Amino acid sequence: MKKSVLLSMSLLLFVGLFMVCPLTYAQNTIKVGIVDTYTGPATTFTMDVLDGFKLAVNEINAKGGVLGKKIEYTTRDEKFKPDIGLAMAKELVLKEKVDILMGTINSATALAISDFAKKEKLPFFVTFSKSEKIIGEKGHPYIFNMNENTAMVGKAAAVALAKKPYIKYWIAGDDYEYGHAIANSLWNNLKKLKPQVQKAGESWWKVGEADFTPYITQILAAKPDFIIAATGGAGMVNFQKAAKATGLSQKIPFYQHTAIELSVLKPQGQNAPEGVFGTANYFFYYPDTPSNRAFVDEFKRAYNREPRIGALSGYMTARFIAAGYKKAGKIDTEGLIKALEGMSLDSPVGPMAIRGCDHQLELPMYFGVTTKNPKYDFLVAGDVQAIQAKDYMPTCDEVLRVRK
Amino acid sequence: MEAVYSIIPAGVLSQVFVGLSRTTILFIVASGLTLILGVLRIPNVAHGSLYMIGAFTAFTVTKLSGGGSAGFWIALVIAPLIVALISLIAERGMFQFLYEREHLMLLLLTFAFSLVFGDLVKLVWGGEYKSVPVPHIFQGFVPLFGGLPFPLYNLFLLLAGPVVAILLYLLTNKTKMGKIARAAAVDREMVGAVGINVSRVFATVFVIGCYLAGLGGVLVAPTVSVTLGMDHNLIIEAFLIVIMGGLGNIWGALLGALIFGLTQSLGILIWPKFGIIFPYLAVVVVLLFRPTGLLKSTW
Repeated sequence: MKKSVLLSMSLLLFVGLFMVCPLTYAQNTIKVGIVDTYTGPATTFTMDVLDGFKLAVNEINAKGGVLGKKIEYTTRDEKFKPDIGLAMAKELVLKEKVDILMGTINSATALAISDFAKKEKLPFFVTFSKSEKIIGEKGHPYIFNMNENTAMVGKAAAVALAKKPYIKYWIAGDDYEYGHAIANSLWNNLKKLKPQVQKAGESWWKVGEADFTPYITQILAAKPDFIIAATGGAGMVNFQKAAKATGLSQKIPFYQHTAIELSVLKPQGQNAPEGVFGTANYFFYYPDTPSNRAFVDEFKRAYNREPRIGALSGYMTARFIAAGYKKAGKIDTEGLIKALEGMSLDSPVGPMAIRGCDHQLELPMYFGVTTKNPKYDFLVAGDVQAIQAKDYMPTCDEVLRVRK
Repeated sequence: MEAVYSIIPAGVLSQVFVGLSRTTILFIVASGLTLILGVLRIPNVAHGSLYMIGAFTAFTVTKLSGGGSAGFWIALVIAPLIVALISLIAERGMFQFLYEREHLMLLLLTFAFSLVFGDLVKLVWGGEYKSVPVPHIFQGFVPLFGGLPFPLYNLFLLLAGPVVAILLYLLTNKTKMGKIARAAAVDREMVGAVGINVSRVFATVFVIGCYLAGLGGVLVAPTVSVTLGMDHNLIIEAFLIVIMGGLGNIWGALLGALIFGLTQSLGILIWPKFGIIFPYLAVVVVLLFRPTGLLKSTW
């Protein structure tokens, strides 16, 4: 008798817990659903986005949250597959009832989720996908791009390269959308800025190509002045290693987006090639300002490693979400979107705004060259030149013209 | 040399030798795959994962021994052995009970293994790119073929390839174990019927095959970034080579690797923009005319 009472009591308690919890959640938190790739090679970048985001969320929640509500987040691993990513975004919205969607490193997934977010009228913050279609031809009012895209990268690099004396360019890269998009944007902008440039030839290799030596020996024999190497992911390091082994890095200068970035240079230690040109949006050591140092210290304390570009993107996404709701004065999607348009916040690398017309984050781009530095046991970016957002972002006109 | 260049341009010669050094890695990995496929009849999709584990282990061993060149040579000895040990555990613990199953089921099982291995590698080593430095004496390049630079490490690979091929020849043709394994590949019941412990032969062959995957992983490590996903890129090429050469035939794997490596490097020379397609085109052509592969398949 006593036993059964105990059992039913505890069952009741159990059921009660489940009934109460969702209600309290719904009332007292802002829910962010993050869909990203957390398995495979992409984790090199996605973990930084998540950790940067967590850092900001913890700060915000420690100060009492936003309008008295805490920010809460749930992650889903899309395994770099757009269909899985879309299903997860749907699940997050329909079952978890998230207020905001965020992610992903896979542009195809980002485009699929973007389409869904548009139908559901839910804000979607893109944190690492580089496709220019996201805010371009597939753009809509609910999308926010919190990192650079291929159109921006190509233009920034073209601005910097146009000042160099090179005429005969060889174009090479990973044979997928990212590689072609960066190369096309760079080449088209460069031709505009410096009409006398010539294309000596092109090589395209498959994504994940392990051995670049045959490609490089062929380019060496063709003797161009400069190589645009539109590689991504693991291809970055692979190409640099082969460039060093074949002596390419001493003979013909080349450019890769993110060539000067920590994720590419740190694994190679002192063996990375010197003199490689690259662009990146963030370094933990540059600019050497108090705000950047404070961010790096805080990140290092929490995760025991230096922050990279993804960390800044994740960190600022959380800060913008919080500031947006605060400005809107209520937890409301349309209010948030309106509040964020044109909003500027201080970031570790100086003020950053979200452009009103297309919801693109205006972040600075740094052009530099790989250099040895006695302070670090890996190569860093030297001769850094900051390119401001207004100089390398496509104009509102250019973006909105291609939107459908 | 000038006389040679008048017949074959220096650029072509350089590409041929670069292609041959790529062939070395492909051959070492594909020969292990085809050995297991021929004798045990297991289409081992996890072969690529063992190659990846070999590369990651090489990274750790190199790092633990101070990051210098000595580390690489230690890794060259130890890392394939560690991979062999992992494969021994997998064979004794799992595969030995499944030899009679259907190929499709084994394919699924080894595919599952490749996913498990992939996640284990992520747990142990994390998602960051890793890099193994080229051993000191093979750093840099030499001007070869009309002054075109040729990486020293690729010269080392050019030497390593034939060594492995000769050792494999001796193993399969001159040792008793090799002869039994070849017999078992043709008729496993008969080998068992004459009183030979087939299970032990199978285990040995499996471990040797996986050792080769590990060896390939260590040898490739200084030329690439050691990263998750390197397994899937390689396993596709390795299977194509094995199919092209004839299932289970080690010399077929050598021939397939040669065709794959050379069509790639020469294809790049002819048409760099579409260099990718040449090896695959070669596979199509071979299979059109020899659907069972170039050399005799053991299946």
